[in-house]
Amino acid sequence: MSLRSPLGRVLGSGSAKDGTGHWWAQRVSAAGLLLLGAWFLWSLTELTDFAHAEVVAWIAQPWNSVMLLMLCCTLAWHSTLGVQVVIEDYVHGPMLKVIALLVNRFVHVFVTFVAVFAVMRISLGESP
Amino acid sequence: MAEFRLPPNSRIRKGQHFAAASGLKNVRRFAVYRYDPDGGENPRVDTYDVDMDSCGPMVLDALIKIKNEIDPTLTFRRSCREGICGSCAMNIDGANTLACTIASDSVRGDVRIYPLPHMPVVKDLVPDLTNFYAQYASIKPWLQSRTPAPPDRERLQSKAEQERIDEPAACILCACCSTSCPSYWWNSDRYLGPAALLAAYRWLVDSRDEATGERLDDLEDPFRLYRCHTIMNCTQTCPKGLNPARAIAETKKMLVERRH
Amino acid sequence: MSDFEFIDHSYDVVVIGAGGAGLRATFGLAEGGFSTACITKVFPTRSHTVAAQGGISAALGNMGADDWRWHMYDTIKGSDWLGDQDAIEYMCKEAADAVIELEHYGVPFSRTEDGRIYQRPFGGMTTHYGEGTAQRTCAAADRTGHAMLHTLYQQSLKHHAEFFIEYFAVDLIMEDGACRGVVAIDLATGRLHRFRSHMVILATGGYGRAYFSCTSAHTCTGDGNAMVLRAGLPVQDMEFVQFHPTGIYGAGMLITEGVRGEGGYLTNADGERFMERYAPNAKDLASRDVVSRSMTIEIREGRGVGAEKDHIYLHLEHLGPEVINERLPGIAESARIFAAVDVTRAPIPVLPTVHYNMGGIPANYNGEVVTSRDGNPDAAVAGLMAVGEAACVSVHGANRLGSNSLLDLVVFGRAAAKHCAKILRPGQRHAPFSADAGQNSVARIDALRNAKGGRSTAEIRLEMQKTMQNHAAVFRTGESLGEGVEKLRSTFASFADVRVSDRSMIWNTDLVETMELENLLLNATATIESAANRRESRGAHAREDFPDRDDTNWMKHTLSWVDEAGKVAFDYRPVHLDTLTDEVESVPPKARVY
Repeated sequence: MSLRSPLGRVLGSGSAKDGTGHWWAQRVSAAGLLLLGAWFLWSLTELTDFAHAEVVAWIAQPWNSVMLLMLCCTLAWHSTLGVQVVIEDYVHGPMLKVIALLVNRFVHVFVTFVAVFAVMRISLGESP
Repeated sequence: MAEFRLPPNSRIRKGQHFAAASGLKNVRRFAVYRYDPDGGENPRVDTYDVDMDSCGPMVLDALIKIKNEIDPTLTFRRSCREGICGSCAMNIDGANTLACTIASDSVRGDVRIYPLPHMPVVKDLVPDLTNFYAQYASIKPWLQSRTPAPPDRERLQSKAEQERIDEPAACILCACCSTSCPSYWWNSDRYLGPAALLAAYRWLVDSRDEATGERLDDLEDPFRLYRCHTIMNCTQTCPKGLNPARAIAETKKMLVERRH
Repeated sequence: MSDFEFIDHSYDVVVIGAGGAGLRATFGLAEGGFSTACITKVFPTRSHTVAAQGGISAALGNMGADDWRWHMYDTIKGSDWLGDQDAIEYMCKEAADAVIELEHYGVPFSRTEDGRIYQRPFGGMTTHYGEGTAQRTCAAADRTGHAMLHTLYQQSLKHHAEFFIEYFAVDLIMEDGACRGVVAIDLATGRLHRFRSHMVILATGGYGRAYFSCTSAHTCTGDGNAMVLRAGLPVQDMEFVQFHPTGIYGAGMLITEGVRGEGGYLTNADGERFMERYAPNAKDLASRDVVSRSMTIEIREGRGVGAEKDHIYLHLEHLGPEVINERLPGIAESARIFAAVDVTRAPIPVLPTVHYNMGGIPANYNGEVVTSRDGNPDAAVAGLMAVGEAACVSVHGANRLGSNSLLDLVVFGRAAAKHCAKILRPGQRHAPFSADAGQNSVARIDALRNAKGGRSTAEIRLEMQKTMQNHAAVFRTGESLGEGVEKLRSTFASFADVRVSDRSMIWNTDLVETMELENLLLNATATIESAANRRESRGAHAREDFPDRDDTNWMKHTLSWVDEAGKVAFDYRPVHLDTLTDEVESVPPKARVY
């Protein structure tokens, strides 16, 4: 039990003077995802039989590669921001929270690199 | 971690039943949360059968009738009984509202009455609002200006400017909104909650106030302000029909606008 | 609780009550460097000031010519020449300053087209000494009290005033005729606290709950008045109880006079605007006692509306939704919730309802409590002040004008703080309490907490309320008052047989309601016995057996003492007809016509 005054507890360590960037980025990335998602769904309807060769060929087209890279990055960015909010909402132990936030970052960065590498390899490399 | 189940000493038992005298035609059942801090036992829900033919229309009338005629130990806050003082805020039929302005008739089936959710309970329907009040005080809810006020007359304010503060200034600090907000449930130690944010907004849009920048600085925080996830329970539940959710959205907009 | 120990505190000043007057005094003192404790039984913004609607009067002249002297004249006439003219002069002269100060604090006043504070007409407020209609009442829509109370609390936060919230003040600690402090019970723990101070300021409000139907909050139980009576000091002019003409029929909630100020009017069963007959000039904006009596006569003579012909209609449909939404939104909401009426389409059923106590703790315009002692009718009681509705300064005399009460609060709350700054220094040393200071309260609370009598608090309270409602109403007769006095005496005596069911320490509202009932009984006794004693009609006190004002014998304040057994003793204080300065002349008594 703390004997600190109620106002002292509320004021705490003061304002972080931060959060607007995060909040705005979430909105911007959401808007980006709407556009990129629409393009992605439309593209899928253009594919005829989803055979391996056809999909790889589709990815390898320069325009599609760029759009896919953007989709992967935006999705990961948006997801990082979102999962961060969920962790901040529900995880309260200080150590646990820091670890969860770090893991969130690392996992998202890792997944992004994997996705980028995969697209680039198809796009720039020789077909496997 | 956030807790998703009540701790063992807060789980609710079945309580006593107070039956009405036989022969009454218009009887309603009120199921009321009871917690006696002196006894130290778990909370319980007592049920009271109330003769509505000799009872006023509002839920507060029924609570007062129960206290006067059936069980004087029933404990709740009340004062103005006309929806302006904000004392009798409680959870009635699953929604936070003022007992004095909600008619018993508007509830179907048994009238279930609980204290404001997710607050420490002092006794029965009386929650501990200390933190809520401290949050209100923390946003410096008073006029701040550097330009001296004219010595012999009021500061001028146009009608349009006045209208901007009219609604947010009508808040009665009943705490219905904050205690209806899941984000506030999980993080009331750091999230200011809709009531305090509405109060902050009232000063942000007051044309006479000159501390807008400092106020925004103080609010710009991942927890104080940005725990609002636009759930909108606050606006849904406000017994005065105010719109704290919009005030918070406007505040976020002001923060973005000053960056670009 | 016999092995009881007090929790002791020492402050320069203790304020009891956190309504408009209490808060204004509290932060005024805090601002002046005094260590100040404000003890309040409800969180400050829940105090009943919050329910004031129409506005606060001040001759700002924003909406036409105005002069504080006209305001003073109206207030004296409204008081039916029972008001003390020095205090009235002080209040009306300070009014503009006080309201402008409120605006500077941030009160969200409604505005005129050129950005100034909006002012509306109100009952009894005239220009040129009764000639025209004044627009003098400064308004924040129809929630002026709410706007003011919240702002005053905000200022208290700004000045870091110290509050003891949900503490119920029990008794004054008196030593050698001076007030030394106060005993209060902390609701959250049930423990008793003893506050030592150089000054106690009572700002405990009125006692509307002595009546069955009132606009007052449940918490308006005259606690300060009763503390003063228990301390062996008198209360003043308790027979003057204001009935507001427009309480919602049945429920009793207030519908502001501002409705009539904005152009609303009353009609009877014939659809007639009957106020034109009773007050040809002011019509619906005559002063409250006049309108309440007129309505009561209409109902008595069979022209009431409704199935039982027992109420009156208040119309504002003709104002149109725009005016209603801008200036009377709260009224529209109240009428919808409590009378199921859409005010843009139908009239509101209303009835005169107990609203305000002109009487209270006798005080001068500095806030100091006075009593009649050794032939001096203005003897100040050391260490004790009273402000707001609890006090009888007396600026309202026999009848208060609408919008003068919010003014009373801030002017005299501020005056009390100013006067403390004159007569006290921050941080003065305290003499120790005597050994038994506060022990009487311990004994009383202990007895009440364990009271096992035959009558519940609610039962005794209802009996008292019914007696007051039936025997000390708008019109009074000697016979009915006599009956009421007898009934109330037996109710008072039956309090010895009270039963408290809740024995707990924490948040024992059963105990608090019982202590409030004890306070109400003292107030009610002083009220009805003073009413029976005053054999004339003046302001809100209308005796059918003495229909005329009798300035020869009764132009004086009633002082009443009520002892533990409920026995009442009377004395009188002269009305101050002299003004405070020579900036204005005294208004001599004359017939009161609206």
